[in-house]
Amino acid sequence: MAITRRVFLKSGALAVIGTNVIPSFLTRAVYGAETQAGGSGKRLVVLFQRGAADGLNIVVPHAEQAYYAMRPSIAIPRPRNGGDSVIDLDGFFGLHPSMTAFKPLWDQGHLAIVHAAGSPDTTRSHFDAQDYMESGTPGVKSTEDGWLNRAVASMKEAQPSPFRAVAMGGALPRTLAGSVPAVAMSDIRGFAVGGRGPGAATASNSFEAMYEQSVDTVLHGTGNETFEAVKMLKSADPEKYTPAAGANYPRGRFGDSLRQVAQLIKANLGVEVAFADIGGWDHHVNEGSVQGQIANLTREFSQAIAALWTDLGDLGENTVIVTMSEFGRTARENGNRGTDHGHANVMFVLGGPVKGGKVYGRWPGLEQDRLYEGRDLAITTDFRQVLGEAVYGHLGSKNLESVFPGFDKADPRYFLKYLG
Amino acid sequence: MPASRRALVAVGPLLLISAVLFAAGDKKARPINAAQRSMDDDKRIVHALNRFTFGIRPGDVERVRSMGLDKWLDQQLHPEKIDDSILEARLAPFRTLKMSTREMVEDFPPNQVLKAVENGKMGMPSDPGKRALYQSRILAMEENQQQKKDEAAAANNPPPSNQNSAADQDKSTPPDMKADPGMKPDNPDEANLTPEERQQRLKQREDDMYADLGSGASKQPSPPAGAPSPVPPMSRPREAAMYADLQSDTLLEMPPEQRYKSIIKMTPQERLDLARAYRGPRVTELVDGMKPEQQETIEAIMNPQLVVGGELTEAKLLRAVYSERQLEEVMTDFWYNHFNVFIGKGPDRYMITAYERDVIRPHVLGKFKDLLVATAKSPAMLFYLDNWESVGPHSELAVYGNQRPRIVRRGPFGGIYQMPPRPQANKNRPSGLNENYAREIMELHTLGVDGGYTQKDVTELAKVLTGWSIDKPQQGGGFKYNDRAHEPGPKFIFGQRISEGGEKEGMEMLDILAHHPSTAKFISRKLAMRFVSDDPPQSLIDRMADTFQKKDGDIREVLRTMFTSPEFWAADAYRAKVKTPLEFVASAARASGVEIHNALPLVQFVNRMGMPLYGMQPPTGYSMKAETWVNSAALLSRMNFALQLGTGRLAGTNLDPQTLLQGKSPEDAAGALALLESGILAGDVSAQTHAVIEKQMNDPQVTQRRLDDTGRAPNYGAIAGLIMGSPEFQRR
Repeated sequence: MAITRRVFLKSGALAVIGTNVIPSFLTRAVYGAETQAGGSGKRLVVLFQRGAADGLNIVVPHAEQAYYAMRPSIAIPRPRNGGDSVIDLDGFFGLHPSMTAFKPLWDQGHLAIVHAAGSPDTTRSHFDAQDYMESGTPGVKSTEDGWLNRAVASMKEAQPSPFRAVAMGGALPRTLAGSVPAVAMSDIRGFAVGGRGPGAATASNSFEAMYEQSVDTVLHGTGNETFEAVKMLKSADPEKYTPAAGANYPRGRFGDSLRQVAQLIKANLGVEVAFADIGGWDHHVNEGSVQGQIANLTREFSQAIAALWTDLGDLGENTVIVTMSEFGRTARENGNRGTDHGHANVMFVLGGPVKGGKVYGRWPGLEQDRLYEGRDLAITTDFRQVLGEAVYGHLGSKNLESVFPGFDKADPRYFLKYLG
Repeated sequence: MPASRRALVAVGPLLLISAVLFAAGDKKARPINAAQRSMDDDKRIVHALNRFTFGIRPGDVERVRSMGLDKWLDQQLHPEKIDDSILEARLAPFRTLKMSTREMVEDFPPNQVLKAVENGKMGMPSDPGKRALYQSRILAMEENQQQKKDEAAAANNPPPSNQNSAADQDKSTPPDMKADPGMKPDNPDEANLTPEERQQRLKQREDDMYADLGSGASKQPSPPAGAPSPVPPMSRPREAAMYADLQSDTLLEMPPEQRYKSIIKMTPQERLDLARAYRGPRVTELVDGMKPEQQETIEAIMNPQLVVGGELTEAKLLRAVYSERQLEEVMTDFWYNHFNVFIGKGPDRYMITAYERDVIRPHVLGKFKDLLVATAKSPAMLFYLDNWESVGPHSELAVYGNQRPRIVRRGPFGGIYQMPPRPQANKNRPSGLNENYAREIMELHTLGVDGGYTQKDVTELAKVLTGWSIDKPQQGGGFKYNDRAHEPGPKFIFGQRISEGGEKEGMEMLDILAHHPSTAKFISRKLAMRFVSDDPPQSLIDRMADTFQKKDGDIREVLRTMFTSPEFWAADAYRAKVKTPLEFVASAARASGVEIHNALPLVQFVNRMGMPLYGMQPPTGYSMKAETWVNSAALLSRMNFALQLGTGRLAGTNLDPQTLLQGKSPEDAAGALALLESGILAGDVSAQTHAVIEKQMNDPQVTQRRLDDTGRAPNYGAIAGLIMGSPEFQRR
């Protein structure tokens, strides 16, 4: 009966100040600020690259001879002056040249990279691999909930809020399915009753009164939360939102999603975890190299994330952003200047508490005998080790076994220690 | 108390009525808890209607009362005896509902088929309509490939100025708007898309319709600055689309038959441009008055798969709302969900229509084993849970690959040599045992997760089922047992030996599983969760499981046991279930008596409430528990749906305000409210909700009463919307 407890807490706080005089969103702001100071205020933003991104062309092992041998037409040239080549990071790895937005984050020590990470399941089906990554239980199909929801469920609620878990998009992603109420929205302006027509306020007020007075505990609780949430959003005035100076979100759905994630976080609505995704990474044909499909997509991807980081400002100190994709792509290019479904991939971790400027994980190498099944980058870090560290070390949930059931490395000693 | 149970079954409702009377008398004497108390007669009718139908229509309670609840229940248990011609007439235009998967693939070709035609591996169809469709689709596919190349080239060599090139057009459009499903390759990797995009692709038509919401009576508020504006995507140069538009002006004036023929006679390019110009809801102008088959052909020019998926989901909603065989619909929904298949997994899109029609529906009130075997042999399930490519590690296929075991070759002197097969080094060789399906059969379809099986049992069952495969899944083939993939040797499950017997092993195991006591309990519990409460009493489950075992898994008998049990009629079961999104939308449509001429906007709302039809990805199916469906975003969607439906602003529907009042003319607002409350909620409106609504009855803005025209009858649509969005209406 978490719902009733939450509502009780809220009603209690409101009663002290006087419900009828002061709009509840104002009291919420006061109340929220207090719990904010007392609570952890830590946030995790999870980003999914759907379609299996080509990690080898995103964070390029430019010191590997084999990389260039296997990718005659799509390899990114070794770092050299004058651009159109890998942006060197540490003499071995480098970023795709269209990801210039990431370079300052790396230099400032906020951005870390985990290479050769992924899901140990051998499937090369997008469908199954995404499913496994989102449920957090590779190989187990019948898991009903997602790892991120379980992560939230395993934590103490820092601040009572209907926005603890939010996803940008029309449908709730698998990652956030589960027992904690999670909100999915494609546009936060649509989060209201009755649209913007003349009768909307009347209808909204009527429904609010009905649910407020209902004796149906389940609907009463959620109804109250819903109207509270609507008011909270309205008070955040999303229509007038202007991102912080220098936060230039690229056009497109992914940029829109991240801008709204920033909006929600900055509005102090109690967001603990947020999820967004970006599709289009399945480059079997004409993947491109310095230019082309992969360049366009990595540009959009990195610019949007960098914009989110800039937009968050000081709040970035308590935020960790982590990216993933269901599997990597073949080490060799195929006959169509593209790549096929592979195994290990690269993950990015960005945030205030992140010890960035470093590539984590063990590099398995690209020599023929080092490749997984003779064709793919091998996995040396399980994606759950990376996520587990964020959940445990950053969000503060100590119950990793419930977040990643059946995972034998759900333990701090297997962390990469990318958190400071 | 076995004696009284038997008596209950035999004497049925008479005894129950006396039980009610007894309980009523008892109530005065001493307080008893709700679980022991039973419902009164009218409540029993409302309860039965709430549980065995997709919602109560005005007048339903009276109809069942005059017929007798018992008789009504019996009739619902024998759907074949109920006339359903009105629904059938509504579904008649959806031709795919009657097609085989193969026919569907042929009539609404996916890219694999188009490629096969393009490469000469398959012939171009001779029917002029189909030929026209194929030609335009092949063109669309080629254009799409070309566009990809252009994009890559343009990125390599950025143009100096902003030209009106296809690529630019695309980029200037928000990506979620550029989901022109017809322009994307529909085959390779659906998963490349975000779930939202995937949804969008399937439901583009509905999205467009939704964007069009309210454009009729009330003006759609323009989106605020910065919002993605609904720019129609044009991947072809603008001139072509303009040309198509100009040409279409004369087209629209033609009679339907002539219009159809003119479109078919166009060049593939013209036809494709035309289809793009009329994509989304505008397509209705283009196909107005045409025969269903012609309409489908024209609509398929834009996106063949959309026709298939659209008709399937629309039909599901229409059946829920309009079928007289309500229990059959409820059970079809129940069993489909139990044996869930996800529409988004590759060729399953084309298989699901036949799966629901031929595999699920015929058995929903029959024997459980028949249902289990039918699903096990269905291409939809075999593909969804990967069994079709499961190969025994020691099978001929695993050892020798696709090579024939014996190659007969003529020697130099005409002699015949039999070459011994060589183990194949082909890396594309099928990889081995896939346990997915075997695991889900035990965990989700029969025994339940605590049903007493081990990982060893799963592996052995997977071996038993090797070879249960599909003949050409991409082309709509059926079940095929492939002995070459079957794992040889005996298998051991639950300590029992299954001797080697090819396909028969699987049949033997399915029989064992269907009759297992754990299965009886698991299925009974799930049925009770659907029909009684989220946490049904164990005594009821045991009684149902008992019938399940004694009557050879006869589902009709299990249901009969359920509704002749006192637990079913216990007062605390009354309106104890929170409606799923489908149940909510269908019940609102039934309660309001709305006329649906296009169900896709309703389908879209069900999706947005978190329950995309046929769209549950994991094999668990949708949860039936309240907590899954009660959350802020979904609740807002429910209220918004109720308001739009009630006020007649929901696209695809017509709601006559008089229908809400059941054709009666109430004297005053109070009378109208009473009518609405009884029609929509069978009078089960709480005092609080009633008081809130009563206040709105005199608000001229709500009833759209005009002060300058007091003689005009008020419109109570908004009031109906409030009732349908109330907490009470969220339960059944």
